Parts: sequence; C-alpha cells; structure tokens
Amino acid sequence: MQRSLLLTAVFLVLGYGFWVSPDLKEIAAGIALFLFGMMSLESGFKAFTGGALEIVLRRSTDRLWKSVAFGLGSTTLMQSSTLVSLITISFVSAEMISLAAGIGIIMGANLGTTTGAWLIAGLGLRVDIAAYAMPMLVFGVILLLNRSRELKGVGYLLLGIGFLFLGIAYMKEGFDALQEGFDLSAYAVPGLAGLLLFTAIGMAVTVIMQSSHATLLVIIAALAAGQVTYDNALALAIGANLGSAFTTALGGLTANLGGKRLAVAHVLFNVMTAAVAIALIDQMVWAVDWISDLIGIAEDDFLLKLALFHTLFNLLGVMLLVPFVKQLERALIRYVHFVPPPAEQPRFLFPEALKTPATAVAAVRNEVAHLYDNAHVLISHGLSLRRRVIDSDASLSDAVRSTRRIMPLDVDDVYEKKIKSLYNAIVDFIGNVQDREIPQQWTDRLYSLQQASRDIVEAVKAMKHLHKNLSRFGVSPNPPVREHYDALRVQIAKLLREIRELRTEEPGAITSLSLDSLKLSLEKTSRERLDSINRMVRERRIPPHIATSLMNDEAYAYRLGEKLVGAAHVLLFSDEPADRIAEELLALDDREIERMATGSEQSGKTAREAR
Amino acid sequence: MKTKKLLAKLANFMDKDRNVQSDELAAIREVLKKLKTKERKLREKLEDNPDEEQRKELQGKLEVVHAQRIKGLDRVMEIRESRKEKSAPAAATDEKITEE
Repeated sequence: MQRSLLLTAVFLVLGYGFWVSPDLKEIAAGIALFLFGMMSLESGFKAFTGGALEIVLRRSTDRLWKSVAFGLGSTTLMQSSTLVSLITISFVSAEMISLAAGIGIIMGANLGTTTGAWLIAGLGLRVDIAAYAMPMLVFGVILLLNRSRELKGVGYLLLGIGFLFLGIAYMKEGFDALQEGFDLSAYAVPGLAGLLLFTAIGMAVTVIMQSSHATLLVIIAALAAGQVTYDNALALAIGANLGSAFTTALGGLTANLGGKRLAVAHVLFNVMTAAVAIALIDQMVWAVDWISDLIGIAEDDFLLKLALFHTLFNLLGVMLLVPFVKQLERALIRYVHFVPPPAEQPRFLFPEALKTPATAVAAVRNEVAHLYDNAHVLISHGLSLRRRVIDSDASLSDAVRSTRRIMPLDVDDVYEKKIKSLYNAIVDFIGNVQDREIPQQWTDRLYSLQQASRDIVEAVKAMKHLHKNLSRFGVSPNPPVREHYDALRVQIAKLLREIRELRTEEPGAITSLSLDSLKLSLEKTSRERLDSINRMVRERRIPPHIATSLMNDEAYAYRLGEKLVGAAHVLLFSDEPADRIAEELLALDDREIERMATGSEQSGKTAREAR
Repeated sequence: MKTKKLLAKLANFMDKDRNVQSDELAAIREVLKKLKTKERKLREKLEDNPDEEQRKELQGKLEVVHAQRIKGLDRVMEIRESRKEKSAPAAATDEKITEE
C-alpha cells in the first residue's frame, strides 16, 4: 500500500515537473537512460557469471591487496560497485571467500567507482558522446538477437555502454538548457551547513536512484552547467558515497550472517570515509588544488577537480582502514550476530514427562500432533488456501478456482521455524526416553511416533517442491494446465480437511480405518490425473516440458498425501489392544486398495510403483 | 499390509489363549457392528446427495467400508473354523480315553 502510494506520488511529481519544464524532462530521460544502461551492463556481466567471474574472484582474493585490486579492477570494468558488492556478499555468504577478503573487495569497489567520475568529467562532457552511443546500440541489439548466451552477453554490454553514453549526453543537454532558464546555484548554501545539507541530498538522491554513478553524473553535469557550486558538488559526492552503502546494506539484509557482516563493514567504511572527508574538507580541497597543479589540471577545471576529490577521499578511507582490516573482521565476528527468528518451541516435551513410559509416549504423541498442526497450516498456505477455508465447510473447488495469484511463501523458512525445530525436539526426546529401559510395547509406540514425525517432514518437503511449480503454473492461462493444478490443489486440500475431521473424532479402530478411503481416493485420483496428462500430451494440448512438470508434481502430491495419511494413521491409532488388533486385521493393504482403484481383480502396479 | 505378514499375525492370534481369543473376537465383532452402522449412514447420505462429485466420494468410502466388513467377516469365520478344528481333535482324544 505504502509502495503504491509512493509510486503514485513520484509519478505525479515527475509528471508535473515535465509539464512545467521541458528541460527537466531531458535531464530525467538522461538519468533513466543512464540507469537502464547500468542494468544492461549488469545483465551483460551476469551472462558471464557462473564461470569466469567466480573463478577470478576466488583466485584473486587470497591476499588483502589482491582483494582491493580486484574490487577496483572489476568495478572499473563493470562501472557498477553495486553489482560487485552484491556478488561479493553472495560469495561471503557462501563462505567461498573470507570476510576480510570481502572487506578488501568493497574498499576496492569504492575506489573503482571514482573511475566513473573521471570518465564522465574527463570524457563524457567534453566530446559528443552520443555519437559513440549510436553504433553501440545498433551492434548491441544485433548481438542480442543471437541465440548464443555469450554473444547476448556482449550485446547487453554494448547496449549498456551505449545507453550510459546516451544518458550522459541527454543530461548534459538538459542542464545546459536549464541554465538558460534559471540558476539553481542561487540556492547554494555556504559553510558547514551547506556541506551537511548537500551531503544529505547526495545520499538521498543515491538511495532513490540506487546508483552512486548516476548521482555522480548528475553532480558533474550540474557542476558543468554551473547549477551547483564547486563546494556543494564536493558535499554531494560525499553523500553519493554514503548512499551507495545503503544499497549494499539492503542486499545484505537478505543474505546470511557473513553477508550481513560484510554489509555492516561496507556501511562502517563509507560512514568513516564520509566523516573524515567532512572533518578534513578544507585540507582535502587544498590537497586537490595542490595535486591538480602538480598533474596539470587547470585551476578552473572544476569537473576534473571533483573527480580528483572523489578519488582522494575514497583513497584516504582505504588507507585509513587497510591496517585495521583484520581487527575489523574480528570485531564484526564478535559483535554482529544473527538473531534467528524465534523457532517454534515444543509444547509437551518436558523432563517431567520422562518419569513413566506412558507419560513420555503421551507427550510425544501430543507433540507429533502439534507438528502435524503446523504442517497442516504450511501445506494449506502452500496450496494458496487460508487455513480457515480448509477448516470450514466452504467449497474447496470454488476457493481453488477463484485463486488469482499463488501466495508467496518461503517454505524453507517456515520449515526451519515451525517443522524442523519440533522434529529435532521430538527425536531428541525419544532418544532420552530410549536411554531408560522401557518395555517393548512403549518402544514400538515411540518408534511409530518418530516415523509419523518423519512422514510429516517428508510431506512438507513434497509441498516445498510442489510449491515451486505451483508458483509458476498454478494460475497458468493455459486452461488444461490450470485445471490440472486446480484438481491437484483440491485433492490435497480435501485430504487435509478429512484428516482434520477424523482427528476431532475419538481415536479408535473405526476412525483409523476411515483412512483407507483416503488412500483409495489418493490412488484413484492419481491414476486419473496421470491418464489425463498422457492424453493431453497425445492430443498436443500441452508441451512436453509442462507435461513433465505436471508428472513430477503429481508424484509430489501423491507422496504428500501418502505421508500425511501415514502420519494421521499413527495419530488416530487407538491404545486399546482390542481396537488395535481389530484395526490391523480389517485395514486394507496396498494391493487391496490398488485392486479397488483399478476396479479389477488383476493385480497391476500401484500408482506409486508406476512412478 | 502384505499377505504373509497378515497371515503371520493371524497365526499368532490363533495360538493365543482361548479366552484372549474370545475377547479379541468380541473386539472384531464390535468394530464390525460399527462398520455396519457406518455403511448404513453412508448409504443414506448417498441417496440424499445429488452432487455428482460428492456422490463419487461417498461411493468410494462405501466401497472401502464394505470391503473392510467383508474382510472382518472372513476373519471371524476363519477364527471360528480354526477353533472348531482345534476343538475337534481334542474331542476325539477324549473319546479314546473314555474307551480305554
């Protein structure tokens, strides 16, 4: 809701701006093209990842200087510190490189971004860069039409550079035209207040555009057109650096502990660099003037001076931090901890329950029921159905048919929090019980309860696989595919509902025997759906790659049902010996179920065996 | 359950003490009685339900309950037969002893 309001507000403000000022339109188009260019560059480099980039990364990070050099080189090449930082986070997360090596790369990447400032200030605004963009765009598109992944990658790279150049040209023209209308530099704020204000503006602009490169382009173009003063441009550049850490921090949020630590290191590094630059701004300006004089940059060439300032303060940050990388790594490991989301705690497994075999078995049984309840909710959500729909008398077919989108669900996360933690506790508790000498009948009960827990876990895992394809094809516009997935969802939902109803009844032979009808239904519907898939393939109503997905999901659904029925069987099993004997003698075995499913006395393969 | 396993369980069951057997036979009869009631209710539901899909489901449940009842009745018969067979040789031995 907040996101859509923000988007609407951005559209309205930009729309009004474009209506009022055609120059703003040109500047905004320049930024948009520049950002699109960066995205194309990223896509281009991604085409080469999964091979060369990873190998180079691994080999070039065994020493700190190598890591810094790698960060510098790769960012200079890719012109995107964001991409380098995010890849580094993923490598640190996967523990393929150390945290210290990651910090080295981040420092190098910060230095690498300064090459962008040099390119824009030294080349971009001095030559007709748009003229170079055109052939790149043409060649890029031609290469993009190729089938080869590598050629496509090169196409994206050319398109990326082309759009970057075109964006720079548009920005330059926009600011030049704006200069004739009114003077933004009239709003310049001198002194420390101006320094802090423009640092904040630079940071905000970078956070919005998610690219310090684009911000630098805006700063340099505005400076070239005289729309900002040199002093304020320096502050904006400091802010751009701070803002880029924000993008990495966002990437780090979704990473694991290593990635989070690296993101913290990036923020610390950039904040420290910015603080030093602000504190020593006068000395930095003096150093820029002195070096400019030394290397022959004209006194009034503020564009190159800005690029030099950008390089100097990043270099200063690197020099200050390099001696303390190991200490920083140690501090991060010591102080940055991953606070795991609260995992579900067992409700019934307490040491007191260990006193007698009967209480222990009762506790385990209740905990397995708790585990089943959690799985029930997870599977309901995995089917994109609310629990209250499953638990009501509402038509499941209608609920499934009316699904417009598959509910996003991180099955792994829920599994860890709600299933695995309880399963661990159950296995541990059973181990404790078995350490004490208990009669065989109780050991058998515990074994079957442990088996039931395992069945529940297996059912959840089947749901995990199923959910992947449900997300892709569950609301497919292709009617036969949609119908198949709808039928599959209805079947599992019905199973959940029926088991839930049986669990509200008294445990006993009759309740337990009712599960046979669920087994029969599972076998029959599975066979029918497999026949239906084969028919659809024969009639060319679905392509083979979708047919195989359907078949795989059919197998997952069958497995899920089978495991749930298995677990329910243990939970519904009566402790009364007579009930147990009666149930064992009267329950239908797999062959009997299968014979009923085929409607024939001839024994063929069961649906499970057919898979 | 595999047939062999079932037969093994049945064999174990047959070897048990006669009184225990009687109790267990009573348990099977009890379950059969409940199954019969369940079958009757399912039939009633089936007659009253016009929904094709639900009828299909009820039909499946009915088939299963019926199959379980048949299986149960068969077992009761087997147990009875077995008990008769066990008691017949015993009776023959008794007769021999009386003759002597």
